[in-house]
Amino acid sequence: MKAPAEGTLRGVATFLATFGIGVATYIAIAESGGGSPVCVAGGHGCQTVAESSYSHLLGVNIAVFGIFGYVLLLGAALLRGDLARMAGFAVALVGFGYSLYLTYLEVFTIEAICQWCVVSAVLMTLLFATNSLRMLAYVGTEP
Amino acid sequence: MSEGQGGANERRQNLIKLASAVAFIAVAVVVVLIVVSQNQGSDSGGDSNDLDGIAEVKQELAGIPQNGMVLGEPGAKVTVLEFADLQCPVCKGYSEEVLPEIVENRVRSGEAKLSFRNYTIIDEQSIPAGAAAIAAGKQGRGWNFVELFYRNQGIEHSGYVTDEFLTAIAEGAGVADIAKWNRDRKSKAVLDEVSATTAEAQELGFNGTPSFAMEGPGAEGTEALGTPESAGALESAISSAAG
Repeated sequence: MKAPAEGTLRGVATFLATFGIGVATYIAIAESGGGSPVCVAGGHGCQTVAESSYSHLLGVNIAVFGIFGYVLLLGAALLRGDLARMAGFAVALVGFGYSLYLTYLEVFTIEAICQWCVVSAVLMTLLFATNSLRMLAYVGTEP
Repeated sequence: MSEGQGGANERRQNLIKLASAVAFIAVAVVVVLIVVSQNQGSDSGGDSNDLDGIAEVKQELAGIPQNGMVLGEPGAKVTVLEFADLQCPVCKGYSEEVLPEIVENRVRSGEAKLSFRNYTIIDEQSIPAGAAAIAAGKQGRGWNFVELFYRNQGIEHSGYVTDEFLTAIAEGAGVADIAKWNRDRKSKAVLDEVSATTAEAQELGFNGTPSFAMEGPGAEGTEALGTPESAGALESAISSAAG
């Protein structure tokens, strides 16, 4: 099966990363000062996850790491060439792997689901798929 | 195949190999992050045989009147309502970093009193923990219990809130009559109080802990404040509520 044009993949990745920056920024702002994001369908999943010790890494809110990751992915999507393809793939893999771990924590350890975290995990999964496809199909080719 | 095409293919193959190495490093980074995440709370208490901070808590609260879950002079102009979950790590941080300044500057002086109210959000264990605090409050040790619990808080959902742990906290907090405390913490009235304050927090629109509300001559009824980011911000709110 032929891969989509690289321009299409970059466009999709740009959209996903921009969306991700918005979601992660909302989570970070909502959680600053001890609050939590508002769960759209009600319930207290977002609150329970935000109060969890796993919501921070080395004293920094996980959402801040998320913003940083999405900004890197946006940069990789906007740039051309092998370095951008490799960087996008590597950052998306780290983001996808850590999202898997966080989702595992939500389901089996914290026992609460935060819809905003799920949205972010889905975005990271799609970004990993998009960046992997871009790297595998186009690395070593002319931009 | 031309020489140019062969060179391009070889370069592409080399880059794919490089990508494999990059993928390996990325996976290693994820593993390191997971290990850091798992270890960050590994020494955070939950051990009934090794309680921390007994003397520290006693010293912090020494000489301040306690009535139920209220800390401070009964006639203080301002009442600061704190809605918190004893299992919540953010509440623990707040209790250790922000509240001591408030207790020292505003409560000890008689200007404000602090009312601890359970807002159970972490899991079901927060309910017996909160009830145990209220039962300690019936013997004038509610705030000692709360503060000592925070200093020995374990990892949430790890099952550390056992009868043994709660009893150790109660004893460390100076609860004199443990048999009465045991009866009180399991009573319907106390368990209903935990539910009632949780409902009260929800009615005030709070969606995180710790959350604060103010009552005083300068406040309109019970004024929801949310979570002030610093002791200074909380002190300002107390000054406003004092009128």
